[in-house]
Amino acid sequence: MDYLIVLLIFLGIALLLSLRIYCISLPKTKSKRPDSSEPCSFAVFLGSGGHTSEALTLVSALDFSRYYPRTYIISEGDGLSAQKVRDLEASKSKTMKAHIASTVPQYTLITIPRARRVHQSLLATPPTALYSLASCIYHVTILPLMQTRSSPFAEVLLLNGPGTCLTLCIATYINRFLGLPSPRLVYVESFARVQSLSLSGKLLRPLVDRFVVQWPELRKLSTKTDYRGWLV
Amino acid sequence: MRVFVTVGSTRFDPLIEASLSTAVLQALHSRGYTDITVQCGSSRGAGDLALPSEAGTASLMKDGVSVEAWRFKPSLQDEYERADLIISHAGSGTILDVLRMGKTLIVVPNPTLLDNHQAELAEALAARGHLYAAVISDLPRVIELMDGSKLVPFPQFDGSKFRALLDEEMGYI
Repeated sequence: MDYLIVLLIFLGIALLLSLRIYCISLPKTKSKRPDSSEPCSFAVFLGSGGHTSEALTLVSALDFSRYYPRTYIISEGDGLSAQKVRDLEASKSKTMKAHIASTVPQYTLITIPRARRVHQSLLATPPTALYSLASCIYHVTILPLMQTRSSPFAEVLLLNGPGTCLTLCIATYINRFLGLPSPRLVYVESFARVQSLSLSGKLLRPLVDRFVVQWPELRKLSTKTDYRGWLV
Repeated sequence: MRVFVTVGSTRFDPLIEASLSTAVLQALHSRGYTDITVQCGSSRGAGDLALPSEAGTASLMKDGVSVEAWRFKPSLQDEYERADLIISHAGSGTILDVLRMGKTLIVVPNPTLLDNHQAELAEALAARGHLYAAVISDLPRVIELMDGSKLVPFPQFDGSKFRALLDEEMGYI
């Protein structure tokens, strides 16, 4: 008899969990902003090298007096990306009108440990990947909870690969599972991808809210794919 | 006229070797090129030219062309600006930078890269007439036949598309 009760409780929990997972897997409905002067907090992951260049080109297109505060997430040891962020922010603040520039809060740079270093053995990957995930969860889930004025990590998170993108995605899904505010996930596949998706693209396509490609050949992949021509 | 050869941060021995070969230099000379600058990245030495160490520059005169070679510079923008023709590996950043300067570009995808999506990009842009794509063995012929005035100008960066996309996604539009 006891076994039956335990089994029923277990089944109940399993059912609730799968219901919850089903709910968060449904597309999030977009709602029009009631007030278009209201700012939108923004975060972007800079995956170094060409990924950083493309991501920052996309960011440079945005209206900085609308998308703030801005959070730039870089990998540990990627000083070059940090420098490019400072250059972009400096050049953008020059073009903004002085009174707007002074009211717009500063941007922040967050450093995340790498999920897997280049040439790292496969055996050593799980611990570093877990460490990287813990750091993402800290920034995306825990830190916003601890702040007195509850503000989400960001309203939108822009991703374009590689590696750490997935851990940020997982952290975002933890927020969704717990019913906490979570960023909308926008993934933009690289301009360099003409016929086939990158590994990050393949992994993230089912997880993100908006999946954007830059070549018409890739649009055929699924109805969820968005194509607007070259974006960088 | 000046040619600039670049391999970016990669190592691409066959392109360095080819660009210093008699066949390529003669083809360049026949098209009126007098100077070639080679950014050789981490590539190894090629034939009769000992490539410079970290910060040095090597130079020599070969087949009527003045050759200069070095490994890295913090920015290549000035080199693109100075050159009339750029021969490059198929890195997308280099391609965008060079095409937006309106320079003639020959792209040579590195066949040894495991995931050879760079060749796809080079071919797609060549098919649209924005640049020439060549394999190493074909380089002299492409140089002899190229006509920069026939290339289709590459559109300048247009931020409005992504701005509209995100504004839409976040409910501003």
